[in-house]
Amino acid sequence: MESKKEIKQTLLEISNLFASTENLTILKGVNIKINSGEIHAIMGRNGCGKSTLSKIIAGHPSYEITSGKIELCGNDIEPLEPEERAQSGIFLGFQYPIEIPGVSNLEFLRVATNARRKFLKKEELDTFEFEDFVKEKLDIVKMDSAFLSRSINQGFSGGEKKRNEILQMALLEPKIAILDETDSGLDIDALRIVASGIKKIANENSGIILITHYQRLLDEIKPDFVHVMADGKIIKTGDSNLALELEKNGYDWTDEFINKN
Amino acid sequence: MNIIERITKGDENISDNKSNLQKITLEKLRANPIPNSKNEIWRQTNKSKFSRFLNYKFSNDFYYPQIPGHSKIENICRIFIGENKKVNLKERNWEIKELDEKEILKFLQQKIFKSDDTKNWSNLLNHFLTDKKNIVGLNISGKEIPHLEIICNSINNFFNSKTLIIKIEEGTSANISQINIGDKNSALSISSYINIGEESVVNHGIISYGKNSSHIISTLNVSQHKHSEYNLGSLQFEYDFGRLEININQVEGNAKTNIKGIQITKNNEQISTYANIAFNGPNGFLDQLNKSLANDRSHSVFEGLIIVPQIAQRTDASQLSRNLLLSNYAKIDTKPQLEIVADDVKCMHGATISQLNEDEVFYMRSRGLTLEQASQLQLRSYYQEIISFLPISKERWDLLALLLKDK
Repeated sequence: MESKKEIKQTLLEISNLFASTENLTILKGVNIKINSGEIHAIMGRNGCGKSTLSKIIAGHPSYEITSGKIELCGNDIEPLEPEERAQSGIFLGFQYPIEIPGVSNLEFLRVATNARRKFLKKEELDTFEFEDFVKEKLDIVKMDSAFLSRSINQGFSGGEKKRNEILQMALLEPKIAILDETDSGLDIDALRIVASGIKKIANENSGIILITHYQRLLDEIKPDFVHVMADGKIIKTGDSNLALELEKNGYDWTDEFINKN
Repeated sequence: MNIIERITKGDENISDNKSNLQKITLEKLRANPIPNSKNEIWRQTNKSKFSRFLNYKFSNDFYYPQIPGHSKIENICRIFIGENKKVNLKERNWEIKELDEKEILKFLQQKIFKSDDTKNWSNLLNHFLTDKKNIVGLNISGKEIPHLEIICNSINNFFNSKTLIIKIEEGTSANISQINIGDKNSALSISSYINIGEESVVNHGIISYGKNSSHIISTLNVSQHKHSEYNLGSLQFEYDFGRLEININQVEGNAKTNIKGIQITKNNEQISTYANIAFNGPNGFLDQLNKSLANDRSHSVFEGLIIVPQIAQRTDASQLSRNLLLSNYAKIDTKPQLEIVADDVKCMHGATISQLNEDEVFYMRSRGLTLEQASQLQLRSYYQEIISFLPISKERWDLLALLLKDK
């Protein structure tokens, strides 16, 4: 009889990834493997390369992969455009979600959802069908439907912007969701709503990467693995207790580690 | 014989039938047959395009144009300038009647005498060329007036000239759309005058829609009286050479003006907007936004001037120019200006030129939208602000869909 662990599928595998922007090398050999059903946390000091890693996975045009590989379900994603990566199931929750004045949130969500559904060979939703579909998901992040008629993130509070990100995650049903400092700028109540939304969306067929500085998000969502990043690479991996150690001891030891190595 | 030759050498065949107004304007034009290129409002003009504008053979003829959009819409009163049909409509709450010829000529002569010839070349040319068949003068009064749609068109391979005069009586509310249709390889001069009586509200849309190598100079001359409100939406596109001159005079102040316009250029086109807003009394209000979108090797120009003399205390005026460059080879020139003498005023002006925002584009692409879909959504929002201000329903003409399809 196969155990649950044995049937896990490798969703994202990053091997010896080096990347740069404007001739500055930021990632210096990142290795990480995410299987289905797993939640990983990446922690580290400001500037260690966490957000850069998330942007590179999503295909931000300002960064260049100089060596190494990123595979989604065994397929190299480097040749893919950002939208092709998103359609294939990569989702990046932005640390600072972009405000786009004049562009209707509802229309944007509908086009995005249909792009993903098309890839999944599901029927695309017209305006009326989508309104019903999105209303079901609003409850996950306790958002009022009035947010849908506004411009994307315009005039949203910090908490509303983050909830809008999680709403998008719920609609797009990604294989891999990378949530870049989703907890930043949230008060306790908003953090709980966002964390609860993430837990509701998480499932056995997808993986989540939480990028964070703090333990408080991990109190709400217990990760299977915690990785510590410093100077553009992952220098230590452990279970959720590693996050508690970091909370207690800080990141000074990472400097010593980097200097030694 | 091209237009300038007609001015300088005369055209015997036509001069016999000329009205007094045409004779007066001819004299004025002979002093300045072409605009001085050093004059600020002509400095940016593309000389070869302007020359092509003037080189079409002049024609007084009229042909019905193909009306864009869904033309068979109810509750629209449509008038073609040049059609020479009588317009006299009266219902319980409103009336649209024609101005008589004497009244029209008197009105235009007064306007000509009051204006500075060096800044009024486009109107002078128009009044010199336009015969009485191509002048429409209307007096409008009342409420719940059906939407008035005025069509003004040029004919393939010809230069046409038309004049529109609208007098809005006191306490009237009117929605007027003016559609300037340029046929391919043609030139059109259209001068519009709107005199808005006290306590009246006018929602006015000007759409200048050309075809291959259409040329147009459109002038709009608005006089606003006390407690009137004038809302202008304008859209200019598909003209090889397009020029809109807006002159608004708040005759006694205490009036409200809102203007939202957009000009869209591509290929090698040049489209310009010149706006001159004068406050001649206190408590005037202006909110103007001019947008442009320039692609390929095109050139877009906006020059605005707000004039606030000593008498115009407590004026509140804003003039913004927002521009989007879609190509490294396109060019945008913009210059919103203020001329303020009064000391108790609130006036602001500003201009921005930008490209499609890369962060916004990446955000949308990271959600699965293609670059084209992301750009379209951004353009939709860019256009929407102006389109929604035009007094034209989506059922009549879905301008947003037209513009997005074109891009």
